[in-house]
Amino acid sequence: MRGATATPRGLGWLLLPAVLVLALFLGAVALLFLHAFWTKDGFSLAYFKQILDRADYHEVFLRTVSIAAIVSLTSALLAYPIAWLLWRLPKWRNLLLVVVLVPWLVSLVVRTYGWLVILGPKGFLNEALRWAGVIQSPLPLIFNDLGVVIGLTHVLMPFSVIATLSVLLQIDNRLEEASESLGAGALETWRRVVLPLSLPGVFTGISITFLTSMGAIVTPILLGGIRQKMAGTQIYQEVVYNFNMSKASAWALCLLILSGLGLVLLRTVEAALVPKADK
Amino acid sequence: MRRGTITVAGVGKEFGATTVLSNVDLVIEGGSFVTLLGPSGCGKTTLLRLIAGFLEASRGTIAIDGAPMQGVTPRRRPIGMVFQNLALFPHLDVFENVAYGLKVRGAPTAEIATKVERFLGLVGLAGFERRRIGQLSGGQKQRVALARSLALEPAILLLDEPLSALDLQLRRQLQVELKAIQRQLATTFVFVTHDQEEATLLSDTIVVMEGGRVRQVGSPGEIYRRPASPFVARFVGDINMLEGRIATVTGTSVSVDLGHHRFDLPPSAIVGQPAAGAACQIACRPEAVTIANDTNNGLALEARIDVLHRLGPTVKAMLDTPLGPLTALMMAGAPQAAELAEGKTVRVAVPSDTLTVFVST
Repeated sequence: MRGATATPRGLGWLLLPAVLVLALFLGAVALLFLHAFWTKDGFSLAYFKQILDRADYHEVFLRTVSIAAIVSLTSALLAYPIAWLLWRLPKWRNLLLVVVLVPWLVSLVVRTYGWLVILGPKGFLNEALRWAGVIQSPLPLIFNDLGVVIGLTHVLMPFSVIATLSVLLQIDNRLEEASESLGAGALETWRRVVLPLSLPGVFTGISITFLTSMGAIVTPILLGGIRQKMAGTQIYQEVVYNFNMSKASAWALCLLILSGLGLVLLRTVEAALVPKADK
Repeated sequence: MRRGTITVAGVGKEFGATTVLSNVDLVIEGGSFVTLLGPSGCGKTTLLRLIAGFLEASRGTIAIDGAPMQGVTPRRRPIGMVFQNLALFPHLDVFENVAYGLKVRGAPTAEIATKVERFLGLVGLAGFERRRIGQLSGGQKQRVALARSLALEPAILLLDEPLSALDLQLRRQLQVELKAIQRQLATTFVFVTHDQEEATLLSDTIVVMEGGRVRQVGSPGEIYRRPASPFVARFVGDINMLEGRIATVTGTSVSVDLGHHRFDLPPSAIVGQPAAGAACQIACRPEAVTIANDTNNGLALEARIDVLHRLGPTVKAMLDTPLGPLTALMMAGAPQAAELAEGKTVRVAVPSDTLTVFVST
């Protein structure tokens, strides 16, 4: 139980960095609105209409949301056992945490190129499978949506591990002993006590990885198919190659709205699954 | 042998190079209320966790109702446990907390409902079924923890300082209820505490522990009247300790020399092997020190009243005597009590049959 602490006088300036960040963010969003609705022909909803009308654009948004959903769920599933292990092995925790985080020391571009070496048509995996006689021709593991999912999951999974671990670490281990003394085995204790109490961390992880995947640019450019764009790559193309700020802004606003809807959906599911565990 | 008897034989426990328990032998009678009493670090919680099965003994055996418990996991032992921090499941409500063990055992829904109702009633929480744990007061959480561990009707209930976080008044109230519940269910209660008053109030048997060893086992009265060592004497209740020397030893009496005073005691009042010339400690309870002119056998002293505490029903006087400081305790209504005043000199007497002598080793 944390009591309300009185705010010491004269420390209001500590809020300054937060205010600056907020101001910049709000300014950027305001610019986004300006650009999106105020095109070179004056006020216009042309780009929004275009997004609503064109089936290929629908496909881009659908792909973006699907990939983000698959990546965030895959990350959560893969991260849970790792987080659980880190929680269970306190002596190894710091070392294993370094192992989980070490990919972050390498730049995103380099890491993504690493996947080309492994997953490419002449890559390590395909060559190994061909050598073993499992396949005749290389599997299409890259330059498609699968490649994007693999690349993004690799990049984002550590966020899920950390989010889940931080919640697991708050679970009092006497709760497990209590469960055991009441007759529950290890699996039953996990299902009835540890899992429900760790779900908030899992959902935090899903939120982070989902939102980050929604705006992914580098990974889909390098590992995705040429024609299989995501919203982020489309915006990138409009800004960098076509200099169409208005179209890019309209896209960005749509992406923002979809991300927000995704978040609302996640919160709803979480509220239904996780009863309020008040301390 | 009554259900819920625990036999601890030659049990020792080390954590790395630290010995936490050495050679504990103890029989806890089924159906009794037993307290493991001692200062922090005496090994009482370790012994409790060994009985629960959360720790494995380094040496020795623990048996419950004759069945050896080695290799038996906590969930297979006929034991319930109330944890120091209670360890209630925060994501479940009161009903689900109490029903937890029954659900794990796959009990039918109707049976679960009946039992939860019964045990919530027993601890006085009927009607609280759907409350969340976070909405409960400290005392109510205590009751939920008790009901949860009793719902499986274990032969033995282990309680690890469950009342230590509560304020005194609530604590006293729950102690009375706990005792009543134990009497009603005839479950063996093993209660860990460092509070000697709590131990005295609750227990049929107190096990006094210190430094990883059992120092004395007995009823609260026995331990108070006949402590087995100066440690036990000091730990359970207030006591005066005086330094002296054994003067002579015969078959029927031991003569003790205390400065200019000498008195005879029966050998039963001596703890340890008395030998002429050996140093000893003479212990007497404050209530044995009386304001009186003389005594047939024992100590008669001139004393100055240094400090006087009037504590409502009792009066406590800190006395300065030729033998050193002494504390005297008497009822406030006693005729002598009214005349006492700080700085006044009085005659005090300590009858010899209230003295215990510990021979120093």
